[in-house]
This record gives sequence, C-alpha cells and structure tokens, in this order.
Amino acid sequence: MRFRFCGDLDCPDWVLAEISTLAKISSVKMKLLCAQVLKGLLGEGIDYDKVTKLTADAKFDSGDIKASVAVLSFILSSAAKHDVDSESLSSELQQLGLPKEHTMGLCKSYEDKHSAVQEKLRETSLRLGRLEAVSWRVDYTLSSSEMKEVNEAVVQLKLQAQGAESGTSESTLVSLSADKFRVLLSELKQAQTMMNALR
Amino acid sequence: MLLVLSEEHKEHLAFLTKVDAAVVGEFGRIALEFLRRGISPKVYDGAARKLSVPVETVRHGVEALMYLVTQSSKHTLSEVDFVDSVLSLEFGDELNQSLLQLYLQHRSEIRGILSLVPSSMPAYHNLEWRLDVQLASRSLRRQAAPTLTTRLHLTHGHGSGTEVRGRVLRVDLGSLLHLISILEGALGALKSTHARRILRNIK
Repeated sequence: MRFRFCGDLDCPDWVLAEISTLAKISSVKMKLLCAQVLKGLLGEGIDYDKVTKLTADAKFDSGDIKASVAVLSFILSSAAKHDVDSESLSSELQQLGLPKEHTMGLCKSYEDKHSAVQEKLRETSLRLGRLEAVSWRVDYTLSSSEMKEVNEAVVQLKLQAQGAESGTSESTLVSLSADKFRVLLSELKQAQTMMNALR
Repeated sequence: MLLVLSEEHKEHLAFLTKVDAAVVGEFGRIALEFLRRGISPKVYDGAARKLSVPVETVRHGVEALMYLVTQSSKHTLSEVDFVDSVLSLEFGDELNQSLLQLYLQHRSEIRGILSLVPSSMPAYHNLEWRLDVQLASRSLRRQAAPTLTTRLHLTHGHGSGTEVRGRVLRVDLGSLLHLISILEGALGALKSTHARRILRNIK
C-alpha cells in the first residue's frame, strides 16, 4: 500500500503500531499534543510536562509518550516534506486506522502550520559553507618599501563563513586591487542577474 | 557448560572462605565497580588494612571474583551451571548462594560492558543530501548539470567515547545510479537461498 505522506512508499510498521496508541487519548488532547509536536518541529522545544499531563488520563508510560511524540513528528514532518495537502493526509490516516475526530484534529493543526514547517525544513536543508557576514574596507596605499610613490586603492574583504567540512565558523581575509575588484564585482552581478531570472 | 577453574584461580578464591558474608558482599561490589570504571589500587590498600591481610591476597581475591563473574557472563551460564562450576571450590552453601546472586543480578550489565570492548568500525548515522542543478559558471553559461551533494554522518568509537563526524561527498548522476544499483544488489543478496539457509540456522 503506497502512501503519499510516506513519499509513495509503504507506511513503516512502527507507525502503524503507534497509531493505535494515539487512538487511546481523546481527540481534544490529541490536538493539543499535535500543537506541542509542531512547536518541537519549528525549533521552539517541546514542553514535556504539558505532554505528560495530556497523556496522564490514558495512563501512558514513558515509552508510550516517546512513541506518540515520535509518530506525530514523523507524520507531520513527512507530510510537509512531500507537500501533501490536508485532505489527502486525512484520508490516508483514516485508511491506516486513526479515528475520524483524531484525524480531523491532526489535519487542522497541520494545515495551520504546514508552510511554517516547510520553511523550517528548507532552512535546515544541507548547505555547505554558509556565508555569515561580509565586512570590507578601502585603503589607499601611499608608499611602500619597494616603491616610493604607490598611490593605489586596495579593497580588503573579510568573509565569515561556515567551513564546508567542519561546519564551524571560519573567516577568510582577501585583499584586492581596484581592477581585480571590478572584475569580481561584474562577475557577481552577472550571477545575480541569472539568479533573479530564475524567480 | 561448566567453567573449569584453574588451580591458581581456586587458590585465589579460597581467600573468600576465610572472611564473613558481609566482606564477600563488599568484595563483590568492588569487583563490579572495577569492571565498570577500571581498577583503583588504593581500594586494595584500604581493604587489606581493615582485614589485616597482605595486599596481594586482597588483590587476588577481587581479581579472581572479577574473572569468575566475567567468564560466567561471557558464556551466559545458567544458574545450575554456575552453582556446579562453583561447587568444585568447596565453598559451602551460603557462599555459593551469595556468589550466585552477585552473578545473576549483574549478568546483563557485565555483558553490556564486555560488548563495548572490541574496537568498532565507523558506523552509519545519517545521510543528508541535496539535489542541485548547475546552470552557469564563470567559464560556461547555459549548462544543466545535476549533482547530488551529501553529508555522510558516521559515528566513531563506542560507549561514552562516541562522536559523530560528517564527510561531504559530491555524487554525479552516473555514480549515483551505479551506487543505487550496487546497494539494491546487496539488499537482494539477503533474499538469496544461500543467505536464507544460513539465517534459518542461526535463529
């Protein structure tokens, strides 16, 4: 059985098993649990005390709590990843055996937050060597030990980026003469025109 | 199966008959602590002074106890086998029982510690990927070259010394298709009759 929210693959066995765990709590509590899980996906952190209180009525032990948070995270992030609309998600979850009220609660929460989740997933996608900051200054060299009168402008650029392999912040210092800088600037402007043409 | 204890081992363990049950319990606790954290010789000195015996005797006693417990855990001896192996020491019922309790309570923990000992190869942890299409470069405009950039996360080390390191790999389309076909072939090998026959016998 292929499911769109699993990326047109079979639904993992553990998700099937934990959907029955989710059915044990009331649909109102399930919607609040979804809200907490969505907060976690957006990077705001899950308040585990609230989660414990929500699941206390159904007498979930710590294993059940972890399982229900995991299955909700999987469903919500996977649906956002494959850009599934909430009607398809609703019908697929009902096929898997999640009761109707629970499915409706989940899909409502998903619909409210799905573009925010997609934005967050876009930000955390793999990027090598992200540029963090650029600082520059222009100097004018008057004279040097080699030549008495130099009279040239020099641009100094400091690029702060994440190292491609290490992921930690590294800074690179470059100094350019006026001509070199002009070439660099025109090439970068051409690249920018190409990027803008794509939008 | 039965453990066969060497004469030297039996001699070292014989020390335990000469002390009372509380001390045996204490030695057991020390032996387990050493298995968890490593040996600290100062504990031997303290114990030797309290019992007024030479440090060597205490050291041999604790080490013999550690060896007995690790060997039993290694082979997952059943209760009956453990008691039979210990019978050859002629310890007396009470001592046998306390050794048995020590073994049973901590057996799975010791097996866990033993499993950490062999050095491990880096293991797969996560694979992040992104699909890019190169449209132009400084030297050539109007291209359409797809590449897959991946970061492979591997865990090195084991237990508390585990660290995750990432390696950046760039895969072009041809290599990617080849990689996929090789990995699918590997998965398919699990379903061959040869592999199935072996797996059936292991279970």
